Amino acid sequence: MSDAVSGMAEPDQLLDVAVDDLGIVRLTWVRGLRITEELANHAMTLVDRVNGSHERPLLVDMTGTAALTRPARVTFTRRCSASRIALLGQSPVDRVIANFALGVSSVPVPTRFFTSEPSAVAWLRHDDTGA
Amino acid sequence: MTTRAPEPGDDRLSQLVELVVELASGDRGARMQPSPASDEIDAVIVGINMMAEELQALDADLEARVTERTLQLEQAQLQLERLALYDPLTGLANRTLLADRIGQAMARADRGAAPPAVLLLDLDGFKAVNDSFGHAVGDLLLMEVASRLRAVVRESDTVARLGGDEFALVVIDATNDQVLEMAERIRTALQAPAQLGDQVCWVSASIGVCFAVRGQQADALLRDADTAMYEAKGTTRGAVQIYETRMHTAALSRVRLADQLRGAIAGGQLRVHYQSIVDLQDGRTSGVEVLVRWQHPTRGLLLPAEFIGVAEDTGMIAALDRWVLDTALAQLAGWRATVLGNSAFTMHLNISPIELRSPRFADEVLGSLAHHGISPADLVLEVTETQMTGDDAQTLQALETLRRAGIAVAIDDFGTGYSSIGYVRQKFLDLVKIDRALVTGLDTDPQQHRVAAAILAIVDAFGLDAVAEGVETAAQAEELRGLGCRFGQGIYWCAPMSAAPMTMHLTAAAHATKRAAS
Repeated sequence: MSDAVSGMAEPDQLLDVAVDDLGIVRLTWVRGLRITEELANHAMTLVDRVNGSHERPLLVDMTGTAALTRPARVTFTRRCSASRIALLGQSPVDRVIANFALGVSSVPVPTRFFTSEPSAVAWLRHDDTGA
Repeated sequence: MTTRAPEPGDDRLSQLVELVVELASGDRGARMQPSPASDEIDAVIVGINMMAEELQALDADLEARVTERTLQLEQAQLQLERLALYDPLTGLANRTLLADRIGQAMARADRGAAPPAVLLLDLDGFKAVNDSFGHAVGDLLLMEVASRLRAVVRESDTVARLGGDEFALVVIDATNDQVLEMAERIRTALQAPAQLGDQVCWVSASIGVCFAVRGQQADALLRDADTAMYEAKGTTRGAVQIYETRMHTAALSRVRLADQLRGAIAGGQLRVHYQSIVDLQDGRTSGVEVLVRWQHPTRGLLLPAEFIGVAEDTGMIAALDRWVLDTALAQLAGWRATVLGNSAFTMHLNISPIELRSPRFADEVLGSLAHHGISPADLVLEVTETQMTGDDAQTLQALETLRRAGIAVAIDDFGTGYSSIGYVRQKFLDLVKIDRALVTGLDTDPQQHRVAAAILAIVDAFGLDAVAEGVETAAQAEELRGLGCRFGQGIYWCAPMSAAPMTMHLTAAAHATKRAAS
């Protein structure tokens, strides 16, 4: 197993957090990753740090995620500085994982799964125009 | 965690079946690795993995909660048992547990062991502590007594609190002598003063001992121990009394007497007799003492000593005293209207200290006086010295109310108690009745004479008047007069008699006074 999949590498190497020109925060996970509670915490901390006192929409690219542990899912139910969350994936596996994250534990802000990035962005920005 | 790696050729579906079977068999840790294809089958694999993980977590959660609940239930059960079997204040066994322990001991006796002994004790003077210092101190005293009792008994014995100030012990595997020794140790242990917060209190206990007989029931044992304790209470403070069968007979006859007394008060079997009180200075009849009698259907005329105790124990004393008060005041009203007129005359009435502790007593007396048109100054209430433990607020307030209305208070049988001086110093007294024991032989025995002289000097020093009881001879009357005793009462002048002869006596006395004055 590669370091990436086992998650024993430095957390910073396993995910990327940045704000794009549209003011959307993009969280991208390394492919084939088993997302643990520790990684989930780290991700939320980074997002909060990037946002500061603002709330911004969040686009999570979880394509190819191998697994999402239960403790990690519980962590994601915590309130953070994301005003809306779009989960982006491709495969049926992505869809299953995303829906576990959505349905089994309640999430604090509107959250949806998308297989198309433009749709995800449009939905996230819909919030900005005050709809 | 069991992990299955995907094998060449796509048999993922059959592996999935295996996974489900494993999960179903109870292996909640079974998982399957999805393939890199990330297709629908992998989606199912991932989904089943995640659901199994959910199940596992919920299972563990549930187990933890069940364990916690079971522990809580066990603790609650223990607490309930404690409450059901133990006295919350002292931690001693309660009545239920005591009965259980007696039952166990009797069962062992049936199998050949020595029968147990049951000791019952209650505290003499506990009520006074509660009344004087409050219930908080009373509770401290009970806890102190409980710990002293615990220190005396052995592991195998049971100490119980039956409620109020009553305690019980069950002693097993001991000879009669050993049990009595233990009772003696208890008596001694309880004699030491108790430091309760800021207060120091003394109590003693009356102890009844009953040696069980094989086949006896627990409640019969307790009843007999109680009977023995009742006898112990009748003697000096801190006595130990062993149950004897004759006590049971005595207890039964007390119960019978109480029943009969109830009927007697309502059925007109009570009588009022009068004995004159004489002013030693001028020989005038200055008043009468009212004495109750019971014309018993089979036992003849009973004196108060034979039934007042039973009346007090059963709460009938109030009805009894009220009847006597009413009858006597009606009689006095009659005498005032005929032979006495407005001459100085007082009627002495005996009242039980129990009455003084009743809140309505003072009002009832004043009400009765008003009803019969008698001035309060005509009434003297007599209370026996030995029965007056009255430092309690209720008693003092009742006496104050009565005296403020003009009624006088006398202490009766003075000189037979242990704390005479204390009561004489109290501000609620007007009159002291010297017990007949101090009058007997006063004219013949120099020692008696000195004692009587000293007592009368004390009474005089407190500015009170004395009435000497039991005067039988002219010589005694003369001596008493010489010693400054103001009044006398006794068969020398007249024996107690019913209303009609007393009326004649008063009439004759009134004529004699008129003759002397003219």
